[in-house]
Amino acid sequence: MDLGPFETDNSVSCRLSSQVPDVCRTEDCCLGIDEAGRGPVLGPMVYGICFCPVSKKEELKNLKVADSKTLSEAERENLFQKLDEAKSFVGWALQILSPNTISTSMLQRTKYNLNALSHDTAIGLVQYALDSGVQLTEVYVDTVGPAEKYEEKLSKLFPGITVTVRPKADSLFPIVSAASICAKVARDRVVKTWNFAEDLGDVDTDYGSGYPNDPKTKAWLLKYLDPVFGYPQFVRFSWSTAQTLMESKGVTVHWDDEDEDGEKAAQRQNNRSMLSYFGASAGGNAQNPTHQTHRFFTERRLKSLDTL
Amino acid sequence: MTTKKKRTPIVNNDSWVVIAADSAIDTQKPDSDPAFVRLRNPFTDAASLYMLSSGDVQLFEVKAFEEDFHSWFVGQIVQRDGRLLFVTPMDPLYLILPYLIKSGKEGKFQPVDQVVMDEEFPACSRLLSCKRSLASLHHIAEEKEVGAVKFHRYSQEKTMNWLKKKVEKTATVLKARNISVGEGVKSTTYVRVKSESHYCEEDYLRYAHGLISEYISEDLSKALLKHLQLPELKSPTETEPPSKKRKLSDKPVEAGEDYTKFNSADFARKPPKKMTAAQKSLAKVDKTGMKTMSSFFSPKVKKENQ
Repeated sequence: MDLGPFETDNSVSCRLSSQVPDVCRTEDCCLGIDEAGRGPVLGPMVYGICFCPVSKKEELKNLKVADSKTLSEAERENLFQKLDEAKSFVGWALQILSPNTISTSMLQRTKYNLNALSHDTAIGLVQYALDSGVQLTEVYVDTVGPAEKYEEKLSKLFPGITVTVRPKADSLFPIVSAASICAKVARDRVVKTWNFAEDLGDVDTDYGSGYPNDPKTKAWLLKYLDPVFGYPQFVRFSWSTAQTLMESKGVTVHWDDEDEDGEKAAQRQNNRSMLSYFGASAGGNAQNPTHQTHRFFTERRLKSLDTL
Repeated sequence: MTTKKKRTPIVNNDSWVVIAADSAIDTQKPDSDPAFVRLRNPFTDAASLYMLSSGDVQLFEVKAFEEDFHSWFVGQIVQRDGRLLFVTPMDPLYLILPYLIKSGKEGKFQPVDQVVMDEEFPACSRLLSCKRSLASLHHIAEEKEVGAVKFHRYSQEKTMNWLKKKVEKTATVLKARNISVGEGVKSTTYVRVKSESHYCEEDYLRYAHGLISEYISEDLSKALLKHLQLPELKSPTETEPPSKKRKLSDKPVEAGEDYTKFNSADFARKPPKKMTAAQKSLAKVDKTGMKTMSSFFSPKVKKENQ
């Protein structure tokens, strides 16, 4: 697995893939989808697909691929090796969603949540397999959100393909297990050798599992919190763990799409708050209604100053 | 998940992001730097910030672009206030004008250095050092020379002509810059498909008058509007259709739309008709013991029934 394309720019989403085995272009194939790194506050989320001819399902089973969570890192690496050796009939593809992609999607003006992002990535990978000429007839997916809804959505998008969405699909279908191994191996490797785009000097890479409840991860997050910029792009800003720390330890930053209320917000929206009617009338000069600034200036947000 | 963020007030910085004309920072005299000064704003009559270039040669006004949710990254520093200051050249005559008008009420010719004085803003006398000040005083005042000393007296007529020229010049610039001067246009960033060549001269003049009015007193602005022969615009409230205000009357107050009354026996009651002035005066006449006109015509049958 060559992670080079992602490592040259780890701020974006990147696709890696194996050669498509020739049999997959001629025989009916099954495809499994799984993801790794959904929960951690650190590092990318990796989506993986694995596909092979339906007739070779047994051979895949003999590789003893199992749910990646039940395996040690060494066992996973070992199994990935085996999958790679079976490249005459097994193909895979990965979509690495960088933490930066996740942060910017979830925090943009029109929110794009993790489930939608997951669904779209999975759909994109299936489409990639189809576009590469893989004769898909069966697709197995570990669910994200309610299984029936997801299954319906995928079935509609890919008519003619039997879509099976099940929770814990990675332990039920070997092809999903294979996909989960690819995804997990890729994520482990990326996290281990993360290239920090930021100039952090000698980075302490002892950040633990990357899951929010890991004390090592928490300690790392505290250590690398910059009061102005927050975190390096390695951290998912949209995770509440990161947000809470930035809110308590960082400088407050205001964005114009934030919900605000109270008197200040009203003032900003040029509304008068109820309270203002009761206060003593302040004899301000600029606010004096008899001196209405010409719209040339107000439209351009220009105002006179009385002091610097 | 999100906690309410509290805004702390922006404390005075010691640095600003400024766009200034080159001439503003020319050092023409070795030991005098350009300086920000507080002077009386002729429009608001309160303090505003101005800048005098080195040696008080030129006057600049200071305007700030200020919008919420902006900050600067300056080199390796974050500047919290996202303000952008503009230091632009300004005609010092605008600031001198109010002092001349004030002394002009006495009707005497006076030396300007005795006129342009302000206890609140002592820096105002520095305005007279500006290159353009003394040379252009004749635009707003009559001059008399006695010996080596010049005396001035405010002239409304001259001032009006001067301001009129300013308005016309401004209108020309507005046209050249394609500035939208029409009513109801709010956004400057809005891209218009149609070019707005349909603005008439009056729109430009009126807009220019509004702009110039930012630099003169309200009285002067009104006088200038007359001088430009632009009719005063009615305020929008007057041009709107008359409000449906309930007229005062001594009749019992009733809800405008009370549908419950149709459920009662009063349903058949006719709404009270409006009366003419003659009817009203008749209504006030003492009618005790008088039969109504209609009683003469009511059918006999009815009477028997009663």
